Amino acid sequence: MKKYLLLLVLFLCGCSTTVPVTAKFPALPEELSVTCPPLKKIPEEAKLSDITKTVTNNYQLYHLCSANNNALLEWITTQKKIFKEIQ
Amino acid sequence: MWLLNFLPNWVFYFVVIGSSIGLLVSQLIPIQFRTITQAALAALVVFGAFMIGASYNEEKWKQRVVEVEKKVAEAENKSAIETVKIVDRVVYKKQVVHDKAEEVVKYIDREIVKYDVKFAPGGVCEIPKEFVEALNKAAE
Repeated sequence: MKKYLLLLVLFLCGCSTTVPVTAKFPALPEELSVTCPPLKKIPEEAKLSDITKTVTNNYQLYHLCSANNNALLEWITTQKKIFKEIQ
Repeated sequence: MWLLNFLPNWVFYFVVIGSSIGLLVSQLIPIQFRTITQAALAALVVFGAFMIGASYNEEKWKQRVVEVEKKVAEAENKSAIETVKIVDRVVYKKQVVHDKAEEVVKYIDREIVKYDVKFAPGGVCEIPKEFVEALNKAAE
């Protein structure tokens, strides 16, 4: 009988199960998935105002691209932080 | 475990307790049947204990799934809120950039235009081609 009871102890081993629930990393919002456009060039025989406008336009493009890039970085960092909390 | 789906938990407790009592009482059984009866009862004890463990594990596992699902839902909600906040901020920032650029263009049309003739090709202060070329190369 003791042998049979010993068998009982052998069967009392725990089993581990991994939880089959996974969190999907969210899709990138459309507003942030914009590529930076190429800078504009000054046309030949351009007037001073045209040159200034082109330079202004390029500065604007840089600022738009920078804003988008910074927002993208912020979004990734925030999402990573949120999804790290549940792991 | 399919058995856990249609048998209530108390059945396994009943099997373990019943067969344990049976093992204790089996001493009274005539010797020729004792061994086989004890083996069968011990097997039932093992089976019952295993199933109790399995059902306990199943319960814990289900609880964990519910817990994780709740956490995931909360995280998804938080993520959506943060996304909206970030997108709103960037949209506002881009609008500010556009407005500023528009203002500068208006300023150019109002003030810089006055110097167009002075800096025109053949004018007093002609803008050298090299200047434009350098800017265009930098923009490439």
